[in-house]
Amino acid sequence: MDPISGLLAGFEVILTWQNIQFIFIGSVIGTLIGVLPGIGPLAALSLLLPATVALPPVGAVAMLCAIFYGSMYGGSITSILVNIPGEAASVVTCLDGYAMAKQGRAGAALGMAALGSFIAGTVGIVVLCLAAPMLGAFAIRMGPPEYAALMLLGLACTILMIQGSALKGAIMIGLGAWLAAIGMDIVTGEFRFTAGSVDLSAGIELLAVVIGLFGVSEILLNVEQSARGMAVKAKLSNLWPTRADWKASWAPILRGTGLGFAIGLLPGGGPVTASFLSYAVERRVGKNPETFGKGRIEGVAGPEAANNAAVSSGMIPLLSLGIPGNAVTALLMGALIINGVQPGPTMMIDRADVFWGVIASLYIGNVFLLVLNLPLVGLWVQLLRVPYAVLFPAILLLALVGTYSANRNLFDLWVMLGFGVVGWALRKFGYELAPLVLAFVLAPLLEQSLRQSMVMSPDGAMIFLQRPLAAVMIAAAVGVLLLVVFKRKTTTLVGGTA
Amino acid sequence: MTITRRGLIATGAALPFAGAAMAQETHPARAALNAIKPAGYPREPIEMVVVYPAGGGMDITGRVVQRFFERVTGERSFVNNRTGGAGLVGHTWLATQAPSDGHAVGIIANLVISDAARSQGRWQVSDLDHIAHLNAEPLNLMVNADGPFKTGGLRGLLEAARARPGTIRVANVVGGYYEYLIEQLEQASGSRFLKVPFQGGGPGITALLGNNVDLAFGFFAEVRGHMQGNRLLPIAVTGRQPTAFLPETPTVNSVIGRDDVNWGVSRWIAVPKAVPADRKAWLAAAFRAAVADPALVEEFRNLGALPDPALNSPAALNAAVAQMAEAERAYLVASGRVPR
Repeated sequence: MDPISGLLAGFEVILTWQNIQFIFIGSVIGTLIGVLPGIGPLAALSLLLPATVALPPVGAVAMLCAIFYGSMYGGSITSILVNIPGEAASVVTCLDGYAMAKQGRAGAALGMAALGSFIAGTVGIVVLCLAAPMLGAFAIRMGPPEYAALMLLGLACTILMIQGSALKGAIMIGLGAWLAAIGMDIVTGEFRFTAGSVDLSAGIELLAVVIGLFGVSEILLNVEQSARGMAVKAKLSNLWPTRADWKASWAPILRGTGLGFAIGLLPGGGPVTASFLSYAVERRVGKNPETFGKGRIEGVAGPEAANNAAVSSGMIPLLSLGIPGNAVTALLMGALIINGVQPGPTMMIDRADVFWGVIASLYIGNVFLLVLNLPLVGLWVQLLRVPYAVLFPAILLLALVGTYSANRNLFDLWVMLGFGVVGWALRKFGYELAPLVLAFVLAPLLEQSLRQSMVMSPDGAMIFLQRPLAAVMIAAAVGVLLLVVFKRKTTTLVGGTA
Repeated sequence: MTITRRGLIATGAALPFAGAAMAQETHPARAALNAIKPAGYPREPIEMVVVYPAGGGMDITGRVVQRFFERVTGERSFVNNRTGGAGLVGHTWLATQAPSDGHAVGIIANLVISDAARSQGRWQVSDLDHIAHLNAEPLNLMVNADGPFKTGGLRGLLEAARARPGTIRVANVVGGYYEYLIEQLEQASGSRFLKVPFQGGGPGITALLGNNVDLAFGFFAEVRGHMQGNRLLPIAVTGRQPTAFLPETPTVNSVIGRDDVNWGVSRWIAVPKAVPADRKAWLAAAFRAAVADPALVEEFRNLGALPDPALNSPAALNAAVAQMAEAERAYLVASGRVPR
């Protein structure tokens, strides 16, 4: 079936009253869990998976997908308004989004985040239905050496992302990599840095780290400041992106879409990595990089587009090959199997109704989300009128519930609270938190693919030069690092700002 | 505190099923079960612990079994994924912290045996009572249908390994059956493989699809789609006899002339040892009745696993679990991992 008639058939399947309801419910739930700190798409999907057994497969999967990309829309809201990421892929949105809110431009940031998400989601779906089989086949060719090279490039970009003191940035990257190393070594099966603790043997949960570092620490900072009577209350003015905002944002949105799409396609990649890398790229290509983190709309538009594009492209390996690229798509695959649909190369033929129905549902869901989110911008902004004395305890409670719901493990709550204190202290001393989180995400992938490459290569490190794609990416990483060194030499060496 | 928390989760997770469970006609096994049902039990929904993430093979099995348990008993229950440490967190919870009043049961697999060894003496497999067997399946040895080993089968692959030692790439998952199986193949070929480590069977299969490894092991549900799409070929299976799903594919045992290449997965229900005997007996009977339901067998078949009639009683299952633990220990001793 060619893409156009396939898609038409898909719309025929999906455009029933019942299915539209499922997509709508999914969009609303997705936005909500995106807004709620702590509870992310993974936790929400695993809670709702049992409910889908009773539903028809297309409706069930369409609803679960809507929750996934709906959470990408919702995640930016608390990031922008109160500097607390709604889920892990919205961490970087805090940097410039919250700065914009403090300048009274919360509405512009929220509006641009929603529009960027919509554009990226829609473009992603178009490419998805035109090129799914081809891109899927390309993505699985990416082996450990290509991953190692890609992660190296990602880490090089992180270094580029560091704003202030290079030493402090390096410490944060090192800390993130070390924290990620806790748990089981995949090559030897030995436990590392677990001190004999069963809880640590599982490694540290990303969600708990992110919510602690960004969310809890923000609350602590605010409590401290309001105790001294100096809490900053965001002003409210122009609710919509201006012409200048648009002019600044269209290129980052397109770049974010392309980058997010590529990252989401890869097994192991996903919205979190995509948003971080997009931010690093925007800082690199944008004029006046030193003003990033101080309310640049590009820093919101790019990453928000990237995380949505990554969700769309993540469906490609799942639907066309039966390969889940990350934990959330693995859950979607489980939902398909529970409903008697075997994802894989034959699904496009055997269950064309499900394949094209789900893709068509993505179009509808993204429209719902835009319609749902744009008018709500005004409402969300009103949240800022809620006194912090009410807002923050409520957010903290939701963060606790959400973090617990991911693994039903009390230990994660201690991790979250611990990292809240750590994050508070680090921010007091002018350390940036974003490099820590990015290293925490990228370092294990780098380690794993590097060690896999070395094991699978009869010629040692030569494997990175024997594979052209890997070689190109390594060359790019070296180029970025040289750039960092060059830039640091020519501009001031040490800055102290956070 | 415990009751409230578990109750809360249960309400959220079990609600969607309440309607479905009630709509069912009374199951034929219900009367016999009710006759042995202890008074005042269960007084809240039963938590069925799956120690692996939602959506994976073990979770899907768990959810199917949970649905049939409700159908058979008319009682409410819910699946709870207690994940982490590749199963260690959930297994440890079951063996050391789970309530012993029969309101928590584990839907577990033989991987509990190696986790007990990893628990550093905190708990043992014998701290659990293994009350009802669910199903079992072997590991399938797969090669890429376009790769260099598409013809010649396992024998051809082993000969190639002998001819060019240290060149054949195998997807490995450390510290378990994948690793033991690779070692047995290495012994058979008198050669060494490149053991590329992955965090699970699924990523290894992905690497095989992209020709980044030459050999990977997978469970039937993981490879069926790729076999139908003619991208992967089975060259052998573990176990004493060929599997019902791939009757043409030889066993590793028959190719390399051994009798101990029987790694695979076996799934069953376990409860903490301290659960009262009458409750255990009712649970065991309920799960046995569920597994005897032809509709459940059909669902298992779709997932690529079949029940084992020989393990139809708690005594037989407990003996089989002890035997599996012993076989694994014997292998660990023979391969020099554990002192004699």
